[in-house]
Amino acid sequence: MKPASIQLDELYVQRDKHAKELRDSGKKVIGYFCCFVPDEIITAFDMVPYRIQGSQNKAIDQADAYIEPMACPFVRSCFNKALKGEYDFLDGFVAPHSCDTVERMYNIWCQNKPAPFNHLINVPHMMGPSSEKFYRQELDYFVKSLENWTGHNLDTGKLRDAVRLYNERRAVLRALYDLRKSDPPLVLGTEITTVLVAGMGIPAAKHIELVKQFIDEVKGRPLPQTQKLPRIFIWGNELDDIAFIKLVEECGAWVVMDDLCTGTRFFWEDVPETADPLDGIATRYLYTHCPRSNVPQTKTRAGDLENRYSYINDFIKEWVVNGAIFYIVRYCDTCELEGPDLREYLNGMGLPVLMIEDDYSTSTIGQLRTRVQAFLEMIG
Amino acid sequence: MEQKEQTKTTAVKGTDMARKVRGLVKNIYRSAHEAKAQGKKVAYMMVSSQYDEIIRAMDVVPIPTENYAGLCAAKREMDRFLLKAEADGYSQVLCSYARIGLGFDSLRKELGGIPEGAPDGGMPTPDMMLGSSAVCDPRYKWFQAAGRYLDVPTYSIDVVWPPVDADLKAVRDHYIQYQKEQFQGLISFMEQQTGKKLNKERLWETIRLSDEAWRLWYEIDRMRVAIPSPMPAQDHFSVMVAGYYYPGMQEAVDFYQSLYDEVKYKVENKIGVIPDEKYRILYGGGLPPWHTLWIFNYFESFGAVFAIERQYRAYDPVEVPSSVKDPVEFLAWRSFLRATQFYEKARANSGNPTVERLLGMIDRYAIDGVVFHACRSCRATTIGQVHYKNILGRYTDIPMMQLVSDMVDLRDYSEAQWKAQIGAFIETLAGRSAR
Ligand code: SF4
Ligand code: SF4
Repeated sequence: MKPASIQLDELYVQRDKHAKELRDSGKKVIGYFCCFVPDEIITAFDMVPYRIQGSQNKAIDQADAYIEPMACPFVRSCFNKALKGEYDFLDGFVAPHSCDTVERMYNIWCQNKPAPFNHLINVPHMMGPSSEKFYRQELDYFVKSLENWTGHNLDTGKLRDAVRLYNERRAVLRALYDLRKSDPPLVLGTEITTVLVAGMGIPAAKHIELVKQFIDEVKGRPLPQTQKLPRIFIWGNELDDIAFIKLVEECGAWVVMDDLCTGTRFFWEDVPETADPLDGIATRYLYTHCPRSNVPQTKTRAGDLENRYSYINDFIKEWVVNGAIFYIVRYCDTCELEGPDLREYLNGMGLPVLMIEDDYSTSTIGQLRTRVQAFLEMIG
Repeated sequence: MEQKEQTKTTAVKGTDMARKVRGLVKNIYRSAHEAKAQGKKVAYMMVSSQYDEIIRAMDVVPIPTENYAGLCAAKREMDRFLLKAEADGYSQVLCSYARIGLGFDSLRKELGGIPEGAPDGGMPTPDMMLGSSAVCDPRYKWFQAAGRYLDVPTYSIDVVWPPVDADLKAVRDHYIQYQKEQFQGLISFMEQQTGKKLNKERLWETIRLSDEAWRLWYEIDRMRVAIPSPMPAQDHFSVMVAGYYYPGMQEAVDFYQSLYDEVKYKVENKIGVIPDEKYRILYGGGLPPWHTLWIFNYFESFGAVFAIERQYRAYDPVEVPSSVKDPVEFLAWRSFLRATQFYEKARANSGNPTVERLLGMIDRYAIDGVVFHACRSCRATTIGQVHYKNILGRYTDIPMMQLVSDMVDLRDYSEAQWKAQIGAFIETLAGRSAR
């Protein structure tokens, strides 16, 4: 048996390999965008949830004939892959209405590369009881569409099991993140991204097994060098390639914590086990900390920032962070509007911030090296 | 021949009424300042959020921040606001309306008052900000971000619509219910802020006035099928001010009544926008280039008139069932019906509601060509244009083109390139009509 680290590396490089194998064995694979499509529901239908990803190291060479270049390059890259047939193995395509671009992409994708099953889940931007109810109804409608398409009714028992399974995965991933708390951290930022991305296209049970093994492997290896380096928190949106984190670590830092669509954002909080599992799922997913969601305002500006970011404050303290780097994939309006607020909050805590906007492309990442180096030197 | 760089921004208009719109625009900001002075509440708001009638019925004076950004661009007074926002950390690719608004708020805070020379006296400090998720994401994020400069109560609502492939019968109830609850949340918030209860009779009255204005506006656009075209797109982008910034007000009804009479007269007397109308163009979408509206006249110099447009009159009148007796529920229904009015057609034909709307216009208005305007920083109105073009191409062979700039940010605009592109487009039109 290969070590888990090797298996995860392979899955990271060939992200669709296992999903394709499962498909060949008769399983249905459902592709989806972002953090608002519950894996649990797809799993309860005995299908494989597959988080659609782009490729930061390949040029977007076909999508421009279908979608404007001022759209989020992550989404364009995903669609570019679809155009090239790289997503032909998907039986289903599910988009949440996460942001303007993903919502627009849904139509463009379905009209040009339709999957056998296509569905959009409307996700409220607002939060609160009425939004919860609506999102729950949207999930009911999603379930109904899946029932119509598969010819099977949702089995609530299976859904409950899926909730437990994914909560277990969440717990295992949090345990992995715990290994980043020590100084030096036991596991690198690049390894974390590898593990997470590798898990986005395989069943949770398999991922849990690999992560557990990986944790054991990490615990068994010699301690990393003890040189004192700045401990960095990364904030942003879609970073499904290790290139940027690698750059930061190469410049002399430990990447120890994150708030990314491809990081804590998608797995951190558990789904509460409610009598009707869909209630717990709806609550959990609606309150995902994503800049596309609007946290209702509290009375004062300071109170408002605290209310929006106290979870990040906890991350910073527990993972003993010395500096924050924002990596924003260009054209994500919600991130662009969120960044300065979060910077204000973090600066208020005395934490230095480097705000970077980039093109979701490894070819431009090298140009960021000097800025990252200067920032790290400043932190000292 | 070397073209002289144009310095003016505005277009020569076709109708007298369009020339009166400037007064309506000035009045938006003047009445906000007056209201402030009288101790009345004023609110930042986002246009097209389906809540205008509620704001008017609550006697709150709206300040449409997006319109203010457009106004700054039309006056070429946007650079200091854009630069200020960028200096504060907002990206150069973020919605330029939001950048102008945030830059303005930032400067006003820094200077302790309205920046000198701000167009139309500037925007007064609002008592509250009312965002929404209608149309795009920046519409609620912008006001959240503005909290940095304005510590004022802020409330945003969702405005939802289903995807075109949804089973409308299955989703209608929960969409309308949610919309209603979102409006109700807004009303409670506004009641708290103003200390006044919403008067439902008054809300019915503002709804009636706004529906009447939109009905008249619809009739006006119906008359624009006439050849020669009685009213061009540059007029439309002015007269929309009444529909979008005065809904629920008698002013809007009066305005469109007069415009109706004027257009009718022009149609009956065959008075066209240009003497020799050769080509009829559809403005297929995208925010207009506020910085360069004279470009419409440039088309006209080749005999091409913009007969109708998709942008800034996003829906036709809809019929809310008469069983709906509550005005808030009425608004929720109307919002749903407006959003889905081309869905059935789309499902029967191209699969795309926008394409259906465009196809209907191409047919009814005897259109010879379509022009889109892609704005680099407005994802909401830009993404999809290439897609519409592609699908339209399956149903019609008329020429189409996409001009690219930004709605306000001039750094994204090249006059020489536009003129070359327009020249080529006109040649294609000419080639076709010669056939
Ligand atoms: S941050 Fe942007 S890319 Fe990520 S889920 Fe939110 S909207 Fe989508
Ligand atoms: S992104 Fe477009 S629609 Fe949204 S606020 Fe900006 S200009 Fe308006």
